Amino acid sequence: MDTRHIRNFSIVAHIDHGKSTLADRMLELTGTITQRQAQEQLLDDMDIERERGITIKASAVTMEYQYEGHTYMLNLIDTPGHVDFHYEVSRALAACEGALLIVDASQGVEAQTVANAYLAVETGVEIMGIINKIDLPAAQPEVVAEEMEHVLGIRRNECFLISAKTGQGIGELLDAVCELLPAPEDRSDEPTRALVFDSHCDPYRGVICYVRVFSGSLKVRQKIRLMHKGRSYLVTELGKFRPTMTPVEELGVGEVGYIVANIRNLADVNVGETITEDANPAPDPLKSYQPPMQMVFSDFYPGDNTEYSKLRAAFEKLALNDASFSFTPQNSPALGFGFRCGFLGLLHMEIIQERLERENDVDIVQTAPTVSYEVVTNDDEVRRIESPSELPDRSHIKELREPFVRLEIITSTESIGGIMKLAEGRRCKLIKTDYLNPTRVMMEYKAPLAEIVYDFYDQIKGISRGYATMDYEFTAFEATNLVKIDILVNGQPVDALSLIVHRDHAEQRGRKLIIKLRRAIPRHQFEIPLQVAIGGKIIARETIKAFRKDVTAKLYGGDVTRKMKVLKRQKEGKRRMKSVGSVQVPQKAFMSVLDTSD
Amino acid sequence: MNPSPASLPDETPGLYLHVPFCHEKCRYCGFYSERLRSHDPSSLVAALLAELDRYRDVRSVRTVYIGGGSPTSLPPELLAEIITAIKARWPAPEEFTVECNPGQTDERVVSMLRHHGVDRLSLGVQSFHAKELAFLGRRHSVERAIESVRVAQRLGFDHVSIDLVFAIPGSTLVSWRRCLQSAAALGVQHISAYSLSYEPGTPLEVARRAGQFRTIDEETDRAMYEMAIDFLGSAGFAQYEISNFAQSGYACLHNQGYWQNRPYIGIGPAAGSYWQGRRTVNFADIRQYIQRIEAGSDAYELSAHPDRNERLCETAVLNLRTREGVDLAAFERCTGVDFRRAFEVPLRRHNRGGLIEISDDRVRLTRNALAVADSVLCDFSCL
Repeated sequence: MDTRHIRNFSIVAHIDHGKSTLADRMLELTGTITQRQAQEQLLDDMDIERERGITIKASAVTMEYQYEGHTYMLNLIDTPGHVDFHYEVSRALAACEGALLIVDASQGVEAQTVANAYLAVETGVEIMGIINKIDLPAAQPEVVAEEMEHVLGIRRNECFLISAKTGQGIGELLDAVCELLPAPEDRSDEPTRALVFDSHCDPYRGVICYVRVFSGSLKVRQKIRLMHKGRSYLVTELGKFRPTMTPVEELGVGEVGYIVANIRNLADVNVGETITEDANPAPDPLKSYQPPMQMVFSDFYPGDNTEYSKLRAAFEKLALNDASFSFTPQNSPALGFGFRCGFLGLLHMEIIQERLERENDVDIVQTAPTVSYEVVTNDDEVRRIESPSELPDRSHIKELREPFVRLEIITSTESIGGIMKLAEGRRCKLIKTDYLNPTRVMMEYKAPLAEIVYDFYDQIKGISRGYATMDYEFTAFEATNLVKIDILVNGQPVDALSLIVHRDHAEQRGRKLIIKLRRAIPRHQFEIPLQVAIGGKIIARETIKAFRKDVTAKLYGGDVTRKMKVLKRQKEGKRRMKSVGSVQVPQKAFMSVLDTSD
Repeated sequence: MNPSPASLPDETPGLYLHVPFCHEKCRYCGFYSERLRSHDPSSLVAALLAELDRYRDVRSVRTVYIGGGSPTSLPPELLAEIITAIKARWPAPEEFTVECNPGQTDERVVSMLRHHGVDRLSLGVQSFHAKELAFLGRRHSVERAIESVRVAQRLGFDHVSIDLVFAIPGSTLVSWRRCLQSAAALGVQHISAYSLSYEPGTPLEVARRAGQFRTIDEETDRAMYEMAIDFLGSAGFAQYEISNFAQSGYACLHNQGYWQNRPYIGIGPAAGSYWQGRRTVNFADIRQYIQRIEAGSDAYELSAHPDRNERLCETAVLNLRTREGVDLAAFERCTGVDFRRAFEVPLRRHNRGGLIEISDDRVRLTRNALAVADSVLCDFSCL
């Protein structure tokens, strides 16, 4: 196809600003799907995504559209809308020439709008500003257009006004996509280079790679080479998503589609890989973007009622379709065999955890998520650690570094005070404030990731009565004054309850933590001491009193069924428990490490 | 339906008959009963006899237990009519118990019971302290309670049981010890000792929630329980179940049937049955019960057919309440399953924790586990 009539673009937006609805409308208007087929938000094809109203994995769909007497091929590459999945946005953008940046006409520019705009600018794609939901009574398109000009540099008179819900303005928008977005460069006579921007695993066909051809072309039965991995494969199938997988013989320059080539494991092909022709390879691969960085780690252990091997099988299944999730065997002195898992962020972790339990009948106990740290040892070796338990002895540590992020918060002016107070308590440093308009402000902070990764977002939502939004991006590891807190349960140190905190907060955090543990761990038949140690010195103690009486005095003929039910419920209450020595510790106790509230 | 052999033990059932009347309801009692004066007991008795008649094909019953409520609140001739009907059908049970309220247990009633072939009386003595009886809402005096035991003994009952309640607010370890001494001195053969429980919906539970009194703390409750086991043991009453103690040879056969998970037939409102593999509980409502029986239909409020696994678990939980525990050979014979294999995980855990003891032929709770039995038994409640 003539590259002049191809447009590759993504839709990027803050969560709930209408990205998926717009995609659905475009699919309908181009006849790619009929309205009846238009299953609500077709592009999000995982249950959990639909339930949570967010897109996790990017996907791509090819549409045809008539404009000025020509048939245009529009390739829409969908992107996720959550901070944890930044890298997915950037890899989708890397396959595009343009991005449609949507803003809700009643909400205005949000933190993720800004983050997405930055990403688009960094990737060098053309940005079209779109103001959605103009049908809402609360819509203020003029105010929003002004914000877009002020914050994002998109001229207010160039913003498109649409309602994805009613379909208003969608035709004009599609025309504008053909008119305004750049066409791919025609490099059909150069050696083949195609970017793998996503992949998933199909139980029958193996790995299915989502590709964008930047030069040359891909053909069925062609022998291809993965330029980074250096391995060769035979192309068995090429196709496009229309939106179902539709085979084609060839994917030409500028086109987007999928490729099947007998690649068995997801690990065999990295997203960002360049595919070239084996017989006529390109001299250099395409510029690859940064691989995703796992920022949050948590250990998963089989609960007292689940076998290790069953948990392993469940993780293997999950990892098949999520290259950004990792798991490695882990042996904790306190908790036995389990897995250390790495995630992009907390939402990513929650999704994995939910899928794990929903799709596999496993009873899991999970430790509190932690960020990774950098340790500089006395011999100047720099090591990355993913858990407080990996921290070497103090005497070997020269420097301990923690990850910092650039944090952006957009909120209403009346909540500034509350948010600043919260941020200060979390060791965040204010870099600048910028008024979007007289009632809204954008604050930029330098923040330690560990302080904001867990409940910070909920807190600012609370302070701003649901108004504030935030987004963050990793910047660097920096040395701070950190110490490790150890917790002893019944005299035994429990590595999974250790945490690394700033020295100024350590003692207070430790004291709070054991009070929370005292409430979270059920009473046993014996007394359980809980102790806090910092640097090997016990600084606080709490005691869980023994329970002394738990027996039904009377059980005769009339009560058997009822009593069995009561006992079953009691047993159910023991799920998600992990034995630490002779103490059964419930899941919520491990999570109390994170709870900084009083 | 073709149940496996284990669901239909070819065993003779026990018979329980519930008399849902009392003169006055006690504050703590969670069993179903109503005040006698607002009912016509004869229509209930007619319904009881009609329900009883539905089991005419049952060749024999092993034990009979008439409980309540208080059976002795019935006019003696009506109670006699019930007993006569049972005896006419099944003349020779191994044990025939009637629960008696000490306030209603005089020579006339006792001799009637004796005359009709009742051989075991269970007297609701509850406490030997007037204050505690008042707290529980019992109408009889301590003296009356003692006298009722004397009457039974005088009239020839050589198997008398009394109920005691401990951890009553206001009681102490000292007062409980005196209670136990008084009980042991009575010369009865059997003692049931229950920690006071606050059953949902009882006036006592409502009062507790309203903070009208201070409950006995857990530590004292535990100490009272341990005291009962030690004291009664040394007085010749061996503990044979969580709350039951007996002189040698005087364990209650009927109640043992429940804990051995044998079949039983329950007659009357709120009575439970385990019969032909099915667990049922009758309506806990006199009018509804009578209506259903008169209409010729069953009176089940609940009906369940435990599957094989549920039967295993029920048997395990019930057996483990007894000091004999699980007889491994008998368990396998009845269920077709190796107990140690089926419950491998909880057995290992609680054995390690010192709460279960395992010998070649038996598994039972340790002494330490008795006071916290539910926390152990729950792990046997499902597979």
